[in-house]
Amino acid sequence: MGRYVLKRLAITPFLMIGIVTIAFLISRLIPADPLVSIVGERNMGNAEVVAAARAQWGLDDSLFGQYVTYMSNLARGDLGISFRTKGSVVGDLWDRFPATAELTMTAMFFGAITGILLGAVAAVRRDRAADHASRLFALTGSSIPVFWLGLILLSIFYARLGWLPGPGRLPPRTDAPPNLTGLYTVDALAAGDFSLFWAVAKRLILPAFVLGWGLTGIVSRLVRAAMLDELFADYVRTARAKGLRERSVIFGHVLRNALLPVVTILGLSFGTLLTSAVLTETIFSWNGIGSYAVESTRNLDYPAINGVCILGGAIFLMTSLVADVLYALIDPKIRLS
Amino acid sequence: MTVAIEPLSVGDAPVGRPIWAAMRRPQFAFGLLVIGFWLVVIVTVDFWAPHDPLAAAGDRLLSPSSDHWFGTDTLGRDVFSRALYGARYSLPTAAGVIILTVLIGSTLGAIAGFRGGWVDSIVMRICDIVLAFPPILLAMAVAAALGPGLRNTVIALVIVWWPIYARLLRGQTLAIKNRDHIEAAVSIGVPPRRILRRHILPLAGTPVLINATMDFGQVVLLTASLSFLGLGAVPPSPEWGVMIDEGSRNFFQWWIALAPGLAILSVVLGFNFLGDSLRDFFDPRSQR
Amino acid sequence: MNVRAEQSALNGGSRRRSLLSLMSLLFAMALIAAACGSSADDNASDDSTDTTAASGTDDSTATTAGETDDGAEPSGDEARELIIARDMDTNSLDPSRSFCDTCQIYLTATYQTLIGIDTADPDVQVPRLATDWSSNDDSTEFTFNLNPDAVFSDGSPVTSADVKWSWERLANLAGPPSFLMGGYTAIDTPDDQTVIVTFENPNSAFLPIVSAAYMSIINSEVAEAGGAIAAEGADVNDQAEQWFFENSAGSGPYVLDSYSDGESLVLTRNENFWQTPATFPKVTMKQVQDSTAQLQQLQQGDVDIAMQISIDAVSQLEGDPNVTVGTVDSYNYVYVAFSPGAVGADPLLDDNVRKAMKLALDYDGILDVTVGGAGKQQASPIPNGFLGSADLDLPEQNVDEAKSLMEAAGYADGFTLMAMYPTVNVYGVDFDTMMQKVQQDLKAIGVELELQPVEFPQWIDQINADGIPVTAVYFAPDHTDSSQYVQYFGEIADSSWARRAGGGDAGTPLFKQSEQDLLAEALSASGDAKADLYRQLGQAMMDDNVIVPLVNPQLVQAYASDITNMHNSACCNLELGLLGLG
Repeated sequence: MGRYVLKRLAITPFLMIGIVTIAFLISRLIPADPLVSIVGERNMGNAEVVAAARAQWGLDDSLFGQYVTYMSNLARGDLGISFRTKGSVVGDLWDRFPATAELTMTAMFFGAITGILLGAVAAVRRDRAADHASRLFALTGSSIPVFWLGLILLSIFYARLGWLPGPGRLPPRTDAPPNLTGLYTVDALAAGDFSLFWAVAKRLILPAFVLGWGLTGIVSRLVRAAMLDELFADYVRTARAKGLRERSVIFGHVLRNALLPVVTILGLSFGTLLTSAVLTETIFSWNGIGSYAVESTRNLDYPAINGVCILGGAIFLMTSLVADVLYALIDPKIRLS
Repeated sequence: MTVAIEPLSVGDAPVGRPIWAAMRRPQFAFGLLVIGFWLVVIVTVDFWAPHDPLAAAGDRLLSPSSDHWFGTDTLGRDVFSRALYGARYSLPTAAGVIILTVLIGSTLGAIAGFRGGWVDSIVMRICDIVLAFPPILLAMAVAAALGPGLRNTVIALVIVWWPIYARLLRGQTLAIKNRDHIEAAVSIGVPPRRILRRHILPLAGTPVLINATMDFGQVVLLTASLSFLGLGAVPPSPEWGVMIDEGSRNFFQWWIALAPGLAILSVVLGFNFLGDSLRDFFDPRSQR
Repeated sequence: MNVRAEQSALNGGSRRRSLLSLMSLLFAMALIAAACGSSADDNASDDSTDTTAASGTDDSTATTAGETDDGAEPSGDEARELIIARDMDTNSLDPSRSFCDTCQIYLTATYQTLIGIDTADPDVQVPRLATDWSSNDDSTEFTFNLNPDAVFSDGSPVTSADVKWSWERLANLAGPPSFLMGGYTAIDTPDDQTVIVTFENPNSAFLPIVSAAYMSIINSEVAEAGGAIAAEGADVNDQAEQWFFENSAGSGPYVLDSYSDGESLVLTRNENFWQTPATFPKVTMKQVQDSTAQLQQLQQGDVDIAMQISIDAVSQLEGDPNVTVGTVDSYNYVYVAFSPGAVGADPLLDDNVRKAMKLALDYDGILDVTVGGAGKQQASPIPNGFLGSADLDLPEQNVDEAKSLMEAAGYADGFTLMAMYPTVNVYGVDFDTMMQKVQQDLKAIGVELELQPVEFPQWIDQINADGIPVTAVYFAPDHTDSSQYVQYFGEIADSSWARRAGGGDAGTPLFKQSEQDLLAEALSASGDAKADLYRQLGQAMMDDNVIVPLVNPQLVQAYASDITNMHNSACCNLELGLLGLG
């Protein structure tokens, strides 16, 4: 078992190098010169100016030379300078990460709660109307295009009804709370500013729902299946036979055990959700990693594209590593990947 | 976002239950109906679509009426007709992606599982790396590198998707490889290629089919997402993502995005219903 | 996309273990704590008013209405914070590196040029940092006298050394706006208040160029401390770009407070401003990408000015008493270009073919589908309102004539051309929509276009490499002199479009010595003669049949009704320092 964990740990750096390499290669395939954003459209015809800029940005080196430079910079935690924002990519990602993290965690929270509830209801009322309704809800959530859903919800709840605030993380004419974690809800609470807390929390509702609905489907299906497993397990029969009330059987034993796979799914889906946020953030003017990715792609800003891919890959590798190792630690029956 | 499915292993598949027995389930019938509808649309739309999808059919930005059920767009084209024709882009694209990923992924996975050793290691490490990329980011980067167009979208999605089937098939192969009759076949010197084709691939068919059905809807979604971001289909093709993108820029003319949005929803829902009921059907836990 | 998640669910299976389930509960609790309460919605409704009511659109007493709601602003009769919704295209905040519409607004707010442009009449120049200016007879030497009262935001005086430093840096950085200083030979500073610029060749465009925002004067001492370099070699050695994202060093009515890419650009009032102080203590330009969101936020009172509302959405605002909406003429336009020199564009070498394609276009229809008719057609690349734009005949659609021209050229069966264009939405014109319409129109005479929408950098790359047979782009004035259009679009040496379309050198098929000569003449002319020369140049560029302007869109101005002095400046878009509250 210890060997498995060690093996898993040992392989992670190699996977990371693979990710970086592939990201680097793809970005160098992009058939456009990033220099236009540096020297301007008109100077692109001026060979001298272009050559100087190319040298300054280290683009005159061979592909392999650039790769070596990139890797050695990366080893020092430097992902290069973004062609678009002109800031360091690490700094850009650092600035935007909290926005995405806050949205993603809220979406996970929403997806987990609704998923567990729906899954539990579906399992207990198997093949009855509630089961079918929860299945329909879950499947719709994973079938609806998020970019469309976001537009429709905004137009109904913000533009027409005015019940919920519009796009963006902060209300207008409001400053962000003092920066502690970068998560506005947490920072607002830390600053003791409850009205700000509500204001920023409300802004999370629509995007978190749009992002989390898909997760609801995943979780509810899992919970349903796991609970069905549990409902027929020996100990449940025993508990029932002992005369425990059905409610305490379900909530005390069945649901608690059925949550086990949910945790793994949630841990793993963090990395996935994080980047599924791409479309959601675009629609909700959410200045996180997702909209950074879209902007970078639109501007063919490849240091930034690389940075996002590497961050996403790293997060996914870490979450799956933790989840797998946890499982292996607890359940010795698990072997091998 | 998708519904998670736990890929089935062969051992789970109920023996002797043919796949068509699943059709009796209402969800399955519903899914089949929806997909069937769109297939009929693809084949016959030329004969009955109310208008030409590429030419102006009236004034621009008309709201829905009896002439134009879903209104007209910025160029005065009939949105309903365009949404119908859109199926000719989204569905074949998704089918192309699924077929290619299943072929490429399954082949590599089966070889990796059967051969083991360094072949296995290399294939699986590449899978790990590709799977570690956030799918939409990888697809966006590849699409940006290749340029717009649905063909490039297919390539981008295949690159993102094949490792899933490689892993699936590898797992299946490993499970089947140790069965007695395979071991017997190996011991009497049957060539590996033949064992793969005759004994392993047929058995792995069911989980691949279920996964492919579930993935189909997701591929439709991802294709539309890329088009929405301007990295997929190009105008004037009435691809659904492109139409929603157009609609989002004229949002007060809400009808422009409505028809393609509903079209995507129905197709993906249809496939999800199919896949979901297939999975339930083959999942022993739902047999109680 | 969830695929990764599935795998390990499989790995894990669903074995029960009480320890693990305990951990799962802990994990779930941690999640709950992390996301704490964000989905609470019970209190949402009563609280929502305070985030949406702050627009101050109520009435004339609104000067104080804004801040009472949210308390974000200082008390007293101070005006509220001005909030502008805009899809920011900021490429830099360094005056000598930036080149974008948002940059013009920012630079005009935080820096000053020597000469300003009257917001009502682009032909009228007004004093800014310079009190007066003059040029010699052949327009090769320009003298500026600076206002001795002018000070930068740190209180130090604006001197001729700052002017020399700023303009030399602009030229030496070789950044996007460096062409504005093209052809100068020297900048002399006989004393603190006098600047003399000399040019090799006549350049009557220089005075209008001086009012371009990129010609802003930078506080050289402060900027040098921030790493800026003006001397030759600045393009390699200057490291100040990042510094300019955090600091402004100008003499304008505002100073930079903060910039956050993709989020906001925040300015605060320059308390050392040497002229009439700005009305608003704080201005926030907020990144709001699309027209719909901008409009919604204006309607909800979340923003005061929405800068890019599409014409099709304007009707949504009609009847809203809190919002003023109108359209004004602009100097921007969108055009298609036919490039005979591009790879795969052989049929276009025949002038009659280009003429036929020009005749095939449905100009009214294009205006209608792109901007709902809220725009003008434009004859030549010199836009309506600029010198030389008057008295030219607008092109008209004539499909029959176009077809016979095609036949005469031997292309009765038509041909196919690649049409790559940047997939942008500028000045209310959506390029996807416009190019689909162009495609439909050209199809009628047998010319099939293969549309290829790409991102802007990719488009630049293609057009500088193989060229693009048929493409579409946009142009907004960099200054107020007509010469820029000839230098950019004319079939003359060093013109961007001559090079792209396949001209640009004597001997190439499109090169026109006549245009080159007319421009040289125009650059040393003045008065009516100058106007007539630019009119001739306009006609000549029309006859090239290379650049075909399609839409000169009107600009939608939508803002809270109590904002006063809204305008559209030819040099600077919007001068924030001029806006008031009423």
